[in-house]
Amino acid sequence: MLKILIKKQLLGFASFFLIGKDGKYRNKGVAIGFIALMVYAFGAVGAMFWFLGETLCEPLVAQGRGWLYFAFVGLIGCGLSVIGGAFTAKSRLYEAKDNDLLLSMPIPTWAILLSRMIGLYLISLLFFGLVFVPTSIQYFLVAGVSFAAVVGCLLVLVVAPLGILGICCLIGAGLAWLTARMPFKNLFTVVGVMSFMVVWFWLYSKVNEYLAYVLANGEALGAKMKTFLFPFAQLGHASTGKPLGMLLFLVIFGGIFALAYLLMSRTYIRVATVKRGEHYARYREKKIGTSSPQKALVKKEFLRLIKSPTYLINASMGTFMMLIIGVLALVNNDLFGLTPGLVETMPMLKESMGLLVGVITLMLASSNTIAACSVSIEGESIWIGRSLPVDSWLILRAKLILHITMTAVPAALIGVLMGVVMDVVWWEILLTVAVAIVGTSLFAAMDLAANLKLPNLHWTNETVAVKQSISVMIGMFGGWGLCLATIGGYFLFGKYLPVWAYFSIWIAVFAVAVAVLSVWLKKRGTKIYDNL
Amino acid sequence: MLRIENLTKRYGEKKAVDGVSLHIQKGEIFGFIGHNGAGKTTTIKNCCGILGFEEGEIYVDGISIKKDPRACKARIAYIPDNPDLYGFMSGIQYLNFIADVFGVEATVRQERIKKYAETFGLTDVLAQPITSYSHGMKQKLAVISALIHEPKLMIMDEPFVGLDPKAAHQMKELMHELCARGGAIFFSTHVLDVAEKLCDKVAIIKDGKLIKVGTMDEVKGDTSLENVFLELVE
Repeated sequence: MLKILIKKQLLGFASFFLIGKDGKYRNKGVAIGFIALMVYAFGAVGAMFWFLGETLCEPLVAQGRGWLYFAFVGLIGCGLSVIGGAFTAKSRLYEAKDNDLLLSMPIPTWAILLSRMIGLYLISLLFFGLVFVPTSIQYFLVAGVSFAAVVGCLLVLVVAPLGILGICCLIGAGLAWLTARMPFKNLFTVVGVMSFMVVWFWLYSKVNEYLAYVLANGEALGAKMKTFLFPFAQLGHASTGKPLGMLLFLVIFGGIFALAYLLMSRTYIRVATVKRGEHYARYREKKIGTSSPQKALVKKEFLRLIKSPTYLINASMGTFMMLIIGVLALVNNDLFGLTPGLVETMPMLKESMGLLVGVITLMLASSNTIAACSVSIEGESIWIGRSLPVDSWLILRAKLILHITMTAVPAALIGVLMGVVMDVVWWEILLTVAVAIVGTSLFAAMDLAANLKLPNLHWTNETVAVKQSISVMIGMFGGWGLCLATIGGYFLFGKYLPVWAYFSIWIAVFAVAVAVLSVWLKKRGTKIYDNL
Repeated sequence: MLRIENLTKRYGEKKAVDGVSLHIQKGEIFGFIGHNGAGKTTTIKNCCGILGFEEGEIYVDGISIKKDPRACKARIAYIPDNPDLYGFMSGIQYLNFIADVFGVEATVRQERIKKYAETFGLTDVLAQPITSYSHGMKQKLAVISALIHEPKLMIMDEPFVGLDPKAAHQMKELMHELCARGGAIFFSTHVLDVAEKLCDKVAIIKDGKLIKVGTMDEVKGDTSLENVFLELVE
């Protein structure tokens, strides 16, 4: 029975690669290409940890603290896996669509639970492996290969994800309980993701500092690791082949999994079958306000965005980044501290604060892809707009208004804020604001045009419409391409023109492009929409 | 009220609708029946302006749907067979959205929402998100949204699917009311008993072509509609 359920889980994984967004099997070439792309993506992420290993491994091994190297690596790997796995555990264990089906069949509950946990284990293994495998190989290159260390590393690779799985399941259960009757689930999700982004961004800005600190204070950190993070210290010892370390590691991480499984198996059927229900909003008759058709359509677009965390977070990433950078710029009172990489690669930006502020604002604005998926996200409900007595141009215009409002307003504010923080002259600040507004209008028109030409209306999961569509890629990379063109142009012509003149030219170019695209959208775009 | 003249719609090489002509008068309930894939939904979507067509013409209240689709849509209410509504809205938000687009005044829409929500027993769930509705509840909400602007022509694709018996009964009464006010109804159905009792006229479509049109008595004669249908489509 367990074998049958595991096979079902694996088929589910395989379908991600083999079945396209239209629900049909991809052709062999496309499927292989897709798998190769995924392997490449994971390889690229693994390479990042390879370089992390390069920085830490040799100095720590030279200090005789190879175990500390693995303890840090294990900490990072576990952290990444828990972040990646906790929400997945919640949805796969408690929100699985086939729970009713499986529970109605003669299948023991433990088999259902275990098969789902095996699926989650593979996900934990993947995330943990992304960090642990390249960093282990680094260790063997530096310290040499020993049989004990190989056995230890393999043990850690296989058993650590079990402990991670246990933690993910417990967190998932906690999240499911917490959000069960929460009235503002979406707000909780958005705030949670934003908080995560702030922490990630802050850590990213400090990573070099922390690595240097680890290398300089190995002894003290090692002692603290043994006291406060004992499981990871044992992970470190196990990876270097210490038998006692391996035993303790196995007991701790295996024990976490065993405890989680025991708890889950006693409560699973009750938790999986009880319909918690939504927060119940009572209808109360009250005075109704009216809106014009255009306003009603704009309201509908806004509601669509804010009611979907997937759409909001993924398509408005630029807006969230603007808010975070704005707050950090205010706190730090310094832009260069936030963007060292940018100034190192393009030193002439330092000569022109105004241009730097403008470039950052434009790049952040181009990261929003709201319009690029605004047609796709209508999905099967597109018939509503098409059956209403409204000009399709009003429908498209509502999508443009949404994108521009969500992007240009924060972009303008952030341009002013960063300009003030960096003592940019007032006319360059005004031009930055103008570039942000006109640039955003252009990105909105481009993205909408791309989505009209390449819509994806037949999705069952809105993540497909929001993240996995060609129009979103075109929108994002097209926007970044324009930003690079503005920077590249300054390298070529900057010496002949003052910044204000250079900005003015770009504002004019963007304005003309917006006008042309607007005409296209009104004349041709509406016809395309009518025939979708 | 609705005049379809020689309507032809192609999907590639295949003619989904082939030379269909129908005339629906004010006050009529017109049934449209056919086997799966016969062309019913395509015809209905052509009438609502959702799908374009290659040949023929459709007039709603004398207005060409090709020349002035907005004016036609302002007179029509369309209810699809599987109403994919805006799940991110609550019931009341959706009704207000439709009412805003059709320009229904606040006091008028309030009265109608109250009346129809009570008729269909949806008052208590209007504040709930549509994603929490069952199929039948979505169907009822779609019906209310269709009635809120008092259309002259209601076009429905299998409107009784998912409705409980009480709601189905209420739906029939509302259909009669609309026709008594001078409106008309054009709907497709697989439930031939209902069509037989409800419809003034009926058309049977097979493989995109109309094979029988007329009053219920003309079409079914002394036998039942089911027998006529089975004979004709074999």
